[in-house]
Amino acid sequence: MTETRSDTRSDTRSRWALLRTTLATQRRNLTIATLIGLLWMCGKVAVPWLVGIGIDRGIEADDRVWLWSGLVAAAGVASGIFTAFRRYYAFREARWTETKLREQLFGHILRLHIGYHDRSQTGQLMSRSSSDLQQIQAFVVMIPITLSNLAMVISVTVILALTNPLLTVVALAPLPLVNFAGRRFSSSIHPAVQAVQQEQAELATVVEETVSGVRVIKGFGAESVQSAKLEVEADDIRRASIDAAKIRAKYLPAIELLPQIGLIGVLGVGGLQVIDGTLTLGELVSFNIYVALLVAPLRMLGMTIAWGQRAAAALKRINEVLDTVPLITDPEQPTALPTAQTGSAQTGSPQRCAPMGAVRFDRVEFGYDDDLPVLKNFNLELAAGQSIALVGGTGSGKSTVARLLIRFYDAEAGSITIDGVPIGDLALHELRRAVGVVFEDTLLFHDSVAANIAFADPAASHDAIERAARLAGAHDFIVGLPDAYETELGERGYSLSGGQRQRIAIARAILADPRILVLDDATSAVDPSKEHEIRSAMSTVMDGRTTIVIAHRPGTIALADTVALVDEGRVIATGTHDHLLATDARYREVLAAMSDADRAAAGPTGSGRS
Amino acid sequence: MWGMNAIEEEDRLDADAAKQVMRRAARMAAPFKRTVLSAIGFSAITTLGLLMGPVIVRYGIDDGIKPADSGTLRTAVIAYIIVVSIAYVSSRQQYIFINRAGEGFLRLLRIRVFGHIQKQSLAFFDRNKSGVLVARMTADIESMAELVQWGLLQFVSAALLLTFSFILLLILSWQLTIVALLVMPVIVIASRKFQRDSNAAYLDVRDNVGSNLSTLQEGITGVRVIQAYAREPEQTRRFEESNRGLFRSHLHSLRVSTWFFGLVEASGVIASALAIGIGGWLVNRGDVTVGTAIAVLLLLAQLFEPVQQLSQLYNTVQSSTAALDKLFGILDTTPDVADGELALPASGAVAVSGVGFRYPETESLVLDDVSITVANGERLAVVGATGSGKSTLAKLMARLYDPTAGTITFGGVDLRDATIGSLRQRVVVVPQEGFLFGGTIADNVRVARADASDGDVRAALDAIGALDRFEQFEEGIHTEVRERGSRLSAGERQLVSLARAALVDPAVLVLDEATSNLDPGTEVIVEHALESLMGSRTTIVVAHRLSTIRRADRIAVIDAGKLAELGTHDELLAINGRYAKLANAWASSQPN
Ligand SMILES: Nc1ncnc2c1ncn2[C@@H]1O[C@H](COP(=O)(O)OP(=O)(O)OP(=O)(O)O)[C@@H](O)[C@H]1O
Ligand SMILES: Nc1ncnc2c1ncn2[C@@H]1O[C@H](COP(=O)(O)OP(=O)(O)OP(=O)(O)O)[C@@H](O)[C@H]1O
Ligand SMILES: [Mg+2]
Ligand SMILES: [Mg+2]
Repeated sequence: MTETRSDTRSDTRSRWALLRTTLATQRRNLTIATLIGLLWMCGKVAVPWLVGIGIDRGIEADDRVWLWSGLVAAAGVASGIFTAFRRYYAFREARWTETKLREQLFGHILRLHIGYHDRSQTGQLMSRSSSDLQQIQAFVVMIPITLSNLAMVISVTVILALTNPLLTVVALAPLPLVNFAGRRFSSSIHPAVQAVQQEQAELATVVEETVSGVRVIKGFGAESVQSAKLEVEADDIRRASIDAAKIRAKYLPAIELLPQIGLIGVLGVGGLQVIDGTLTLGELVSFNIYVALLVAPLRMLGMTIAWGQRAAAALKRINEVLDTVPLITDPEQPTALPTAQTGSAQTGSPQRCAPMGAVRFDRVEFGYDDDLPVLKNFNLELAAGQSIALVGGTGSGKSTVARLLIRFYDAEAGSITIDGVPIGDLALHELRRAVGVVFEDTLLFHDSVAANIAFADPAASHDAIERAARLAGAHDFIVGLPDAYETELGERGYSLSGGQRQRIAIARAILADPRILVLDDATSAVDPSKEHEIRSAMSTVMDGRTTIVIAHRPGTIALADTVALVDEGRVIATGTHDHLLATDARYREVLAAMSDADRAAAGPTGSGRS
Repeated sequence: MWGMNAIEEEDRLDADAAKQVMRRAARMAAPFKRTVLSAIGFSAITTLGLLMGPVIVRYGIDDGIKPADSGTLRTAVIAYIIVVSIAYVSSRQQYIFINRAGEGFLRLLRIRVFGHIQKQSLAFFDRNKSGVLVARMTADIESMAELVQWGLLQFVSAALLLTFSFILLLILSWQLTIVALLVMPVIVIASRKFQRDSNAAYLDVRDNVGSNLSTLQEGITGVRVIQAYAREPEQTRRFEESNRGLFRSHLHSLRVSTWFFGLVEASGVIASALAIGIGGWLVNRGDVTVGTAIAVLLLLAQLFEPVQQLSQLYNTVQSSTAALDKLFGILDTTPDVADGELALPASGAVAVSGVGFRYPETESLVLDDVSITVANGERLAVVGATGSGKSTLAKLMARLYDPTAGTITFGGVDLRDATIGSLRQRVVVVPQEGFLFGGTIADNVRVARADASDGDVRAALDAIGALDRFEQFEEGIHTEVRERGSRLSAGERQLVSLARAALVDPAVLVLDEATSNLDPGTEVIVEHALESLMGSRTTIVVAHRLSTIRRADRIAVIDAGKLAELGTHDELLAINGRYAKLANAWASSQPN
């Protein structure tokens, strides 16, 4: 998460600014909604007045009772129509606000630097764009509705005060209490509801972990541990929910019944006035109805205030994401990568062009956390079209090199260039199109095999997809799948074996046809016999293409022209595999134990060592 | 195209199925019967109290105001106050009781469903996406919370209010009751249509919410791949597509439901208008009193709110029924790996005989007639091409799936007859897809044994030679590894999952490529450590590296699901078959 910033005034302003700019584009429809709300209000307010007259003139005086009755019905029809339209517009605009904000948020999340994603949790980001936006939506709905409710409260109060001031005071006295209780309720239920949500989120985490890590949990028989964790969370939810229920029990009946006090007052005081002859029976009834009319809007006003507070909190959390400036961005004036000499480029095949993709790391320093350097004075030079194997112990920083090359992170010092251009001067998409990385943990999308391979270029032809699959040694097993290339993969590709997943990921990179290919331990689960086969295919791919292979196995290392030994964040030796084996003790330490064993093992079949 | 479709046809529950679900829920809620009955009792008292209002007003008008008797008026006022106070007290109680019952019920449901999910075999988890299972345990159960918190009460009190009002109307004046009957049919017909349309629309919204969420989730979890391939614009466009789909479905649901709210509001007022018209006519004929007419007017005004509430509640009830149905669906899935009755012996040979296996969704056999006996304390290496079925065999040995043919026994006991508890204690597998949970390194190691102390965890890490490495981190073994271990390098992650194996003491340890990401130097250290740990333990290792395989007593070569060769390294070289070819491949891959 980003650093918590103090809730300054300017912060508050910027928070609402987000909502304001979004709402500004919807001004017209929101105004329409409010105007409709005002018409609705007129209809609503007319009803009790007409009912009062209807009783006095129509019933008591037996004068044109059907006329009054008809007028009441007409007012009812009008308010019914307007209530529907008000609701429609209010909800539509609120949904639209939610929709726009969600798109803005998603686009921003995708552009945020990987350093941010390292520290944030998927669940947290998900709830920003689901439940937080929900709260903002609920608030936006209330904007036009509240405006017309407010108008209604004011006009009813004025009408009542003009008819009978004393009775108005009696009738309306408890209503501010309703508003007050509504506000108190909302502000005390809010933390309680949040506590419930917090507990629910904790339970969701236990479930999510259990389900995604089920292979590990079953492997170690940790089911009962997870069940115990879940029971704790289920108990917590129950406790928090019952706490919230107690708050509801305290306020809701009060809010429900307080207006009745006004009604009792009207009956008592108004009744005496009718007996005195200062009030008509019809007026008494219309007072009664007016008071009932005000209950809902007042209750809502109180809640709107609380909703506003809640929306503000949600906006604050959303702003925390939106205000996070992506640290890795396009330069202001991107330089283009130099292209191959046009002389021979007509054929378009990379082999024929002058090879491109020289890579140079010059005195690069980098650490994920400030005080823990991972790369220290890292130097690496790779001519265009050349291939190199990075070899090193676990945690020595090999994958970090790959991540820096595609600017998942920016180096703290030193420079990284491709064909002489500092990578920081390249437009991000150009850089990332030029460098294709196969990550060590393969992530496949829940999609068809073909779509996964054609990820870089969804418009790729089937032939191109198949060619990439063949080169990656994936074609054979793909045609054996139930729907071949159209087979839908399970989540994260779990319906394939580990090696099969890796090959799809390799095919994905091959299809992208990058200038520089980085294979980060991409064949660890590929069996050596196949590796042999892939090797010839890979040589086709690697021919004329700059390639960085991160590997532990001699077979894979052998794919590369040279080897660089990485230790504690720097390249400590370069040379051919044999040369390093012969001259470098650390290299032997990282690999030799294995080579010895391999040799011993392979010995009987006669592969000799000079 | 990445839709999750958590909502399927099964959502469209027909009335019979819905009734069945309700009955079953009621049976499950049996322990809370007394509490629920109390809540309903209090709810009835509250509703009756609210209904007394108009009656008292009538009494006040007809017996107090009309005859100008202020004493009676006072009596009416006092009666009103008492009734309201009683309503207040019982209203508070109803909330407390219903919540106590409801939350208790939901707690029970959570624990039962989760327990049942955990009993399922891996096949179940292959079939059901994690997002869907999480949704069952969260969104689906939470959708009932609303019902529990106020929905049920509102339902009960609205229903009571409608019934009581109707009875009261009949008592007050049967003529005026006709007024209500004139409007009611319109409302009833309209609300049926509303229920039908809005239910369909609501399910559509839920479909869209589900697929929107899964697009969102895949976007966030796949952000590294998306950025590496510069696919942000494309993915954003796709998300917008699903997001606009969601907006459209919201709009549709709004369109089919909005008119209803207008209609209910208008009908309420029209009923009042009729009460005035017909009431006036009756009063003037002397059939009813003014007070009665007014009381009917006020009663009618109260009557339309519950109708509206009931219609709105209908959706909540529908979605809860659908959610319950799906949860019961999980509870009804008998685990295809059922618990047996025998406890496994402390040691023994693992015998795989004639085993065949097919994943539910695959057509061809993944394993076919495989027979291997691994003696107590023996170390077996399993090798073979990618996708040949090695991991599958490993998973069968730990009974994560049951073979579709043949048997697997430990110490002579068929794994299917063993209790899951004793099985998990005897056989431990470190799966190929090592998984780190959010939390510290220590927490992650402790997955293998929850009661292990920090000291035990350190010892386990030390045993595989990884302690020093992690102690170098600023917070040592208490370093947060972050979601899926993203704070660690790939090899470091494997070390953490391997340490789990060093924390427990099973009779059979199955390592599925558990060292594939380690550099050979580290791997050797780990293997030596595991070897000393393993001592007399039976071990089955799936590996691609010759060094690992060499240390095994015997080697099994799997080829396209069949056991192709089995024997010691030398024996296999001698028959000059697949293994010999493999060994040659290794040898020739050594650059000279
Ligand atoms: N996202 C991260 N945040 C903080 N530290 C990290 C992060 N990723 C890696 N590290 C640390 O940086 C160091 C180098 O990691 P890197 O992934 O580059 O190693 P590696 O050489 O690829 O190792 P392996 O062979 O195990 O994959 C490790 O000590 C690791 O703990
Ligand atoms: N959960 C699953 N559902 C359906 N098919 C599966 C599933 N897991 C694996 N398969 C298929 O079963 C076959 C055997 O897979 P398995 O994981 O056992 O291979 P493996 O020998 O371990 O390969 P690797 O060396 O790549 O790990 C493969 O063709 C694979 O696609
Ligand atoms: Mg790495
Ligand atoms: Mg496998």
